[in-house]
Amino acid sequence: MSVLRRLIPVAARSTTLLNSLKKNAPRAFATEVTETPKETRPSFRKINQSSVDQLKDFGRYVAECLPKYIQKVQIAAGDELELLIVPEGVLPVLQFLKDHHSCQFSNLVDIAGMDVPSRTNRFEVIYNILSLRFNARIRVKTYTDELTPLESCNDIYKAANWYEREIWDMYGVFFSNHPDLRRILTDYGFEGHPFRKDFPLSGYVEVRYDDEKKRVVVEPLELAQEFRRFELSAPWEQFPNFRNAKPKETEEVKTEKSKK
Amino acid sequence: MASQGMQRAAREVKPILSLDRDEARKRVLNLYKAWYRQIPYLVRQYDIPRTVEQCKTKLREEFTKYEEIKDVRLVDMMVIKGQMELKEVVNNWKQKGHIMTYFKDTVEPKPKDFLSKFLQGKD
Repeated sequence: MSVLRRLIPVAARSTTLLNSLKKNAPRAFATEVTETPKETRPSFRKINQSSVDQLKDFGRYVAECLPKYIQKVQIAAGDELELLIVPEGVLPVLQFLKDHHSCQFSNLVDIAGMDVPSRTNRFEVIYNILSLRFNARIRVKTYTDELTPLESCNDIYKAANWYEREIWDMYGVFFSNHPDLRRILTDYGFEGHPFRKDFPLSGYVEVRYDDEKKRVVVEPLELAQEFRRFELSAPWEQFPNFRNAKPKETEEVKTEKSKK
Repeated sequence: MASQGMQRAAREVKPILSLDRDEARKRVLNLYKAWYRQIPYLVRQYDIPRTVEQCKTKLREEFTKYEEIKDVRLVDMMVIKGQMELKEVVNNWKQKGHIMTYFKDTVEPKPKDFLSKFLQGKD
């Protein structure tokens, strides 16, 4: 709460950032057509440049409000705002985005995880949040490693309970102060975290019913070398038109911090 | 080189539960005691072909398996997982098969010498 109180002078300056996004969207869309080359292919999603600009403004504003926690603001996939924050800032940032009058991201849609073993902090935890009031979605990303606990955001979003259990189960990221952290998808006695990149595709054990013992037994799995080659690509090309298509570049939004 | 080593040793990390090794040790002992006290109930609760004594030996084995691990955070993480498993046992979420998995009584030991490897027929 103290975070919010400190922000009031800043907030007074631009209380209706996202509000303007909502009101101006249709009008701005009509004028935008003349400026940028229009995407005519019907199967392509059209990006509304003015709403992207407003998202950028919003990102800049949040970065200005929480300079301690927000490391980077970026626009991914053309029009999706992402806030990259330090792990200590999960609670304050989410609390701010939920309770600030011009944010009101009151819904936690999903928490996703990502494993990049080459990084020092190999796990990325991604919070997708939705503001029903302003019809906007943003993403908050943070990072951690195998042994560094993250704060549980269960007190802010009740929905986080099961999502955090899922992340714990799949990646082994520990959430401190979670009310009921335990496995949710894997079987009791399962060892390892299956979504980690170093977890083998075939797993470590196989499970079968043993007729003699009259119970399910778990045995270490050994695959001969020739069975271990998994051919995952299909023999035909699904999207030949997109053979050389690159995903849209993520674009960094310049903030006060990044200018320095 | 030495200064690099010093830097690495001084890296600040966020603790999971325990702040020093003594505290971590206490947590491990507490977990061990909790499991130890649960064993008589466990044997009664689950229809497993093992006695209390055998289970206690197994428990000790499971704990001493990791005695080389000294990292406080690693110990903490394992204590957390052990605590969760104990809860699964107490609440009867685990079944007979899960309990018997600890004993690995169907797993054939890997062949060590050449002849038995040859007889088994695997690489």
